[in-house]
Amino acid sequence: MSRPSFTPRFGPPPESSGSLRLLSLAGRRFLWRHPWQVSLTVLGVALGVGVVVAMDLAMESARRAFRLSAEAVGGRATHWIVGSGGGVPDSVYAALRVRGGVRPAAPVVEEFVGSPALPGRALRVLGVDPLAEGPFRRLALGGEGVEALWRLLGPGGGAFLGRETAWEAGGGGGDSLPLAVAGRVRHVRVVGLLEAGDELSRQGMRGLVLMDVGRAQELLGKVGTLDRVDLLLPAGEEGERRRAEIQQRLPPGLTVREAEGRGRAFDGMLRAFQLNLTALSLLALLFGGFLIYNTMTFSVVQRRPFLGILRTLGVTRGEVTKLVLGEAVLLGAAGTALGLVLGVFLGTGLVKLVTRTINDLYFVLEVQGVSPSPSLLGKGVVLGVGVAVLASLPPALEAAGSPARLVLLRSILEEKAARAVPLAALAGGASLGMGLALLALPSRSVTVGFGALFGVVLGFALLTPMATALLVQGLAGALRRRAGPLAVLAVRGLVGAMSRTAPAMAALVMAVAVTVGLGTMIGSFRRSVDRWLDTTLQADLYISAPGLLSSRAQGTLDPEVVEGILSLPEVAGFNTYREIRSEDQGGGFRLLALRLDPRGEKAFDFRQGGGVGAFEAFRGGEGVLVSEPLAYRRGWRVGDEVAIATDSGSRRFRVVGVFRDYSSEQGVVMVDRGVFERWWRMGGVTSLGLFLREGVAQGTVAERIEALAARQGQSLVVRSTRDLKAASLGIFDRTFTITVVLRLLAFGVAFTGVLSALMALQLERSRELGVLRALGMTPRELWGMITAQTGLLGLMAGVLAVPAGASLAAILVQVVNRRSFGWTLDLSWGLEVFGQAVLLALVGAGLAGAYPAWRMAKTPPALALRDE
Amino acid sequence: MKSLPSWGMSALVAAAVLLFSLVRARGPSPDQGRWAATSLPVAQVLGEGEVAGFERALEPRPFDFPADHGPHVSFRNEWWYLTGNLEDPSGTPFGFQFTVFRAGLDPRFARRLPPEGKASEERPDTPPPGEGPGEGGPGPASPWSASQIYLAHWTVTDGGRKRFYPHERFARGALGLAGAQGTPFRVWVEDWSLTAGGEEDLFPLTLQVREGGTALQLEFTALKPPVLQGEGGLSRKGPEPGNASYYYSFSRLKASGVLVLDGDSIPVQGLAWMDREWSTSALSPGQVGWDWFALQLDHGFELMWYHLRRADGTPDPFSQGIWVDPQGAARTLAFGEVELQATDTWASPVDGRRYPARWRLSFPGEDLLLEVVPLIPDQELVLSFRYWEGAVRVSGRHRGRPVAGVGYVELVGYGEGQGRKAP
Repeated sequence: MSRPSFTPRFGPPPESSGSLRLLSLAGRRFLWRHPWQVSLTVLGVALGVGVVVAMDLAMESARRAFRLSAEAVGGRATHWIVGSGGGVPDSVYAALRVRGGVRPAAPVVEEFVGSPALPGRALRVLGVDPLAEGPFRRLALGGEGVEALWRLLGPGGGAFLGRETAWEAGGGGGDSLPLAVAGRVRHVRVVGLLEAGDELSRQGMRGLVLMDVGRAQELLGKVGTLDRVDLLLPAGEEGERRRAEIQQRLPPGLTVREAEGRGRAFDGMLRAFQLNLTALSLLALLFGGFLIYNTMTFSVVQRRPFLGILRTLGVTRGEVTKLVLGEAVLLGAAGTALGLVLGVFLGTGLVKLVTRTINDLYFVLEVQGVSPSPSLLGKGVVLGVGVAVLASLPPALEAAGSPARLVLLRSILEEKAARAVPLAALAGGASLGMGLALLALPSRSVTVGFGALFGVVLGFALLTPMATALLVQGLAGALRRRAGPLAVLAVRGLVGAMSRTAPAMAALVMAVAVTVGLGTMIGSFRRSVDRWLDTTLQADLYISAPGLLSSRAQGTLDPEVVEGILSLPEVAGFNTYREIRSEDQGGGFRLLALRLDPRGEKAFDFRQGGGVGAFEAFRGGEGVLVSEPLAYRRGWRVGDEVAIATDSGSRRFRVVGVFRDYSSEQGVVMVDRGVFERWWRMGGVTSLGLFLREGVAQGTVAERIEALAARQGQSLVVRSTRDLKAASLGIFDRTFTITVVLRLLAFGVAFTGVLSALMALQLERSRELGVLRALGMTPRELWGMITAQTGLLGLMAGVLAVPAGASLAAILVQVVNRRSFGWTLDLSWGLEVFGQAVLLALVGAGLAGAYPAWRMAKTPPALALRDE
Repeated sequence: MKSLPSWGMSALVAAAVLLFSLVRARGPSPDQGRWAATSLPVAQVLGEGEVAGFERALEPRPFDFPADHGPHVSFRNEWWYLTGNLEDPSGTPFGFQFTVFRAGLDPRFARRLPPEGKASEERPDTPPPGEGPGEGGPGPASPWSASQIYLAHWTVTDGGRKRFYPHERFARGALGLAGAQGTPFRVWVEDWSLTAGGEEDLFPLTLQVREGGTALQLEFTALKPPVLQGEGGLSRKGPEPGNASYYYSFSRLKASGVLVLDGDSIPVQGLAWMDREWSTSALSPGQVGWDWFALQLDHGFELMWYHLRRADGTPDPFSQGIWVDPQGAARTLAFGEVELQATDTWASPVDGRRYPARWRLSFPGEDLLLEVVPLIPDQELVLSFRYWEGAVRVSGRHRGRPVAGVGYVELVGYGEGQGRKAP
């Protein structure tokens, strides 16, 4: 930062500006002479800010992409009429408009499809009635208006594509675009391009295939039904009245509900996911804060003589405070600037990870690049500079608060630090207690869970100095008898420099604990999923139509294909699955119509209920099986009667089992196929599970099935249990890539912190070490001592991090995950995670000590002894 | 002029254009967009869409009622057009317009149907087989597939409170959303409908329309038989063969019913005029708009006159009209038989475009001189398509004796070329 912008902001009244300029010059001079320290601090802040900004940027880009496409596609609709999975019959829409006078209302048919011309991309087929569209969507058809309408509605009417999508698919208008719909390739005539008035709508139109509603029905095999009807209702009471009126006109099974879109649904669906990421990025910032605290303390401590002289010369406390804070702002600003650049860069990478996770687990989303909003960058600035100022407040006040004479004495500071250790421990105990108390609250709030998590982490961090002191003292006592004076000196030196060691240790402990916690959580999760997959995947072969969401089946199988497969002689038994989305006031869930082979009963790992009676009730039609996340979220228990919307109106079913499930955080309800056929209109099968006869080769059957389907023109995904399991774990690992990345970033920040703190500690001891050298210590001995000191710090941090990490893991697994997603994970302790953590701490600390040790060993004692 | 076949087409076309221009421009005034409806020269508008394959109006034909009241889907465009002047018991004047336009999307479909009139509600709305979604597959056809689209305009003019209520509806001829049928006659766009009284009889004809707190229910009976416009019902619009329509009118209908305005039910009665026209042809080059007058005089005569305007401002020689005596005998009028002179103008509050707002009409052949005055100045439809169509009062002298009456005037194509050249 240049002087003009620095001085006026923090400068004193004009008459004394000369002295303060001098002060700030002196301050900067100090920073200038400690480039390592400064660059590490700046880097720490940069990493902290960068991670937060990157995370925010990734989520915001995803949210924005969602909102844009939701707006382009969902338009201004306030409400939707939706069916209980099977859509809205055309006739209901027609009756509403003609007899009910309900308008504006617009029919929508919508589905994501793939295209052989655009591999790996999701295209959204949107079928609308252009004559009813007026108030809803801003879809601009290129070309002459009437021509466009004719091409859409007229004979053999085709599709309009976004300009870029058309270009990427390799052609302008007039060509045909192949689309993969439920395993079949169908060609749609491209009759025009969608024109976007601005960048925003251009982005919203990416991947959009706009068609007439009738053509879309034909293409998607949805003739006779709409996916929804868009409504535009006024706000407030009038809207509520109209909504009730329309609801009254609807046949059973259809409901009017608020439209999704504009990020609300996005936030609702991804709330837990987002919260987890935010918490992790805040943790990174916290480490950044530690770092700044370190540097500022260091710079204050280093300049105590100088500050003392200033104070005796009549510089006021306020001026000293301003000086220190000014430097903090300078460092914070530099770090923030770097962090913003880093954040945007990182965010570009993270957005891909976020998008992939969203696509794997939630819904199809295409994010086109990132563009940081001013508010997001502003947030980064406030965080970076704010944390810097907050972190340097204690040293600034300390420097200003000391009596002028005392400031000169380093020992005073250490005395103070020593006095602060028990206080910190007390605060740590309180924080720990508060964290535990939060855990004890009978709450389901994820935020409270994270609150507890932070309480516990902070508690451990604050207890670290005390624990370190005790450990060191114990160690010193033990060493006194066995080892030489050098070892004792090394150990005692750490206690003597508590003001330096404490924050460094705390930071290191936190970093290692977080690594242990996250590592254990991911390990536990993966092992739980692995075991669950072993239980769940009971059949030998699984068959579905290729879909866009890797985690679930889309599109139904050709009935003839199904019949052909089931009549194969190798097939001994089978499950059929038909998945639909059931909408209700609670946010909906996946409804799976299951024809369950007796052989498949073992596939359920019941958390509650289950047993023979449960399957009888299930097949009898009165019972449903509910996945654990759904049961947790809704508070459903075995024996409860729950209402489920069917095409024949809402019906009550009894929960007869709650089973373990990690496939969907929204939750799954399983109903028997017979029940489904009775109460729901649509048939079809989305996937099949086959039990093969003994001794039959899976590969051969799979080939026969693929050939059979190919004859009917449908391509199928046939997977063995092993393939499916591998694919599922693949999704799992992809999902956690982002967590792993964050974990590494958090550790990087902490590591930087430790590096800077330990280096500061050793550099600061130049004179002391010079004395030791002058007293006859060889460079080699000195090097050994310093390395031993930092290594010891690392070891202690590693050891202290074990209980902290274990607590963290337990909270993450049993509280945060449960509350976020509703599922139970089996906590499994990976010894290697802990071993790695301790090793990491040791190596990190060792590395941090290496440079100062090398430097001190090299410095001639006389030079080290010379005053600055 | 509504009697131009192009008008229906251009309305539909313009409506469609505007539909998309609205979403494109998103301005509060639809007129600010480059694609504002009236910015498209009519001639160009009519050059669009598929004309080939549709039947053309080439020569006079016999009219067959009631069948001809129904749709003629082998022609591209068609409309049912009702206008009228009503009064409540206290004498407060009201005007109304109700128009349904039909536009054929698919000429191949038109050929496959029996000639006209026999089309049922279902038939025109069933697509030709094999016209699925491209080459995709032979799946079942969607019931949304339509060969016709419909546009309806309905306006009410409140002469007492000097207010004007324009409304419009679009729908395709599918799923019963909109349609037209011959026997029994019915044409509807969603919940707006015009329905015959019986299997064979058009009258009593019932109009039912509502929108929010406004509604109109009227019953019509014919006071005179239909008159054939032009040459035995063939109304030529330009020198090119086929640039013509089939056109007949009921020049005097008795109307009575209930008007609901802002929730108040008002019993009303009065006189109405009904036009029926179908065609495929396009407007000739150089014709930019028209002024159409349908006047009903108190002593039983009616005068219809349309004035085609050319780009250079001169009247087109294909301007024409009809004169109906109290007994229902009609005489067609050729260019030059009626003189029109605008004596005032009115500026639209939307963008200041000017329309003529008062006329002196002279028909020397009948020694008729009339002053035509709008019931209220603002009867401009700022809908998907923009034009002025409103109730008027007339007064003057016929063969030396004072005469008064009511009527409707339509002004199309004004305000074009004001910096909004079509591309």
